[in-house]
Amino acid sequence: MEVDPHLVHVAIRWVHVAAMATAFGGAVTVFALSIRPGTDSAGAVLGVAVRYEWLFWAAAGVLAMTGIGNLAAFGAGLLGPSTNWGTTLLLKLGSVLTLVVLSLPRTLAVARTSATSIGTGLIALRNLYAATTAAFAVILAFAIWLAHG
Amino acid sequence: MKLVTWSLATFHATAFVLAIVLFVYSRDALGAGLSGLNTFVGLGLFVALWGTTYVTTSRALKGLDLLTSERDRTVYAGRALRCGAANGMAFLGILGAVAVVAAVLNTRPDQVGLGILFPAVFIAPIAFVVSAAVGGAVGALFGIVDLALFAVAGLAGLDAEPTV
Repeated sequence: MEVDPHLVHVAIRWVHVAAMATAFGGAVTVFALSIRPGTDSAGAVLGVAVRYEWLFWAAAGVLAMTGIGNLAAFGAGLLGPSTNWGTTLLLKLGSVLTLVVLSLPRTLAVARTSATSIGTGLIALRNLYAATTAAFAVILAFAIWLAHG
Repeated sequence: MKLVTWSLATFHATAFVLAIVLFVYSRDALGAGLSGLNTFVGLGLFVALWGTTYVTTSRALKGLDLLTSERDRTVYAGRALRCGAANGMAFLGILGAVAVVAAVLNTRPDQVGLGILFPAVFIAPIAFVVSAAVGGAVGALFGIVDLALFAVAGLAGLDAEPTV
C-alpha cells in the first residue's frame, strides 16, 4: 500500500509541533511554579523540574528527528543559506543547537540537587527555566517566520 | 533508566545530528542530500542512532556516579573514545543490515550471492574499521564537551564521596 507523502509530511509536522509545545510549555510551567507566590524553597519546584527534564530530552530527540523530516519535505527545492529564509533557518538551527548544549548543565544541576539535596536553589532554578523559556520563545519566533514569513 | 543517562545519550545523538545538518546546510548541500532519502528510512535511522547512542552511553556510565564523584567523571571521559567507537560500529551494523536487506529484496535471486553478499563480506571489515575510527573521534570529542558542560553545571571539583 502506497502512503500519501503529503499525509506523512503533515503527520511529521504535527508531531514536531506537539514536541515543541511539550518542551516550551513545560519550561513555562516550571518557571511559573518557581515564581508562584508562597514558593519559598527549591524542593517545591524540584519534583516537577525533574519530570520536565525527562520530557525535555524526549522532546529534543523528537524535534531533531521530525525537524529533519520537515526539511526533507522540501527536497531539492530547499532554499539555500544565502537567501533570507536560509539565513533564518541557519539562525534557528544554531539556536536549537545552543539550547540543546546548554540544557545538559541545567539537567545535571537539577538531577544533582534532586539526588543529593545540595546545589541549585530556588533563584537558580528560576533563572535556569527563565533562560530556557526565553530560548524557546526565540526559536519559536524563527519557526513562525520560516513557516509564514 | 536514569535521568543522567537519558539526557547524556539524547544530548549526544541530537547535538551530533544538528551539528551535521547545520554544517551541510551552510554548504548548501542539504536539499540534494535529503531529497534522495525516504522519509521512513530517515526517521528510522535517527531512532537507530538514538538507540545505539543510549546503549553505548549506558555502558560508558556503568558503575559511575557523575553527580557526586570527580574521579568517576574522569573515568567516564576516558571511556568516551571506546564507547564512541562501539556506537559507530553498532550504527554502521544497523545501516549495513538495512542496506543489504533492501539490496537483496531488489535483486534477482541468482545475482544475490555474487552481486550483493560477496561484495558486502569484503567491504564490511573496512567499513567497521572506518566507523570505529570516526565513532571513536566523535566519542572523544563528546567526552571533552561533556567534561566542560559538567563544569558549567557546577559539578567540577565537587566530590561528595566519603573521605576515610
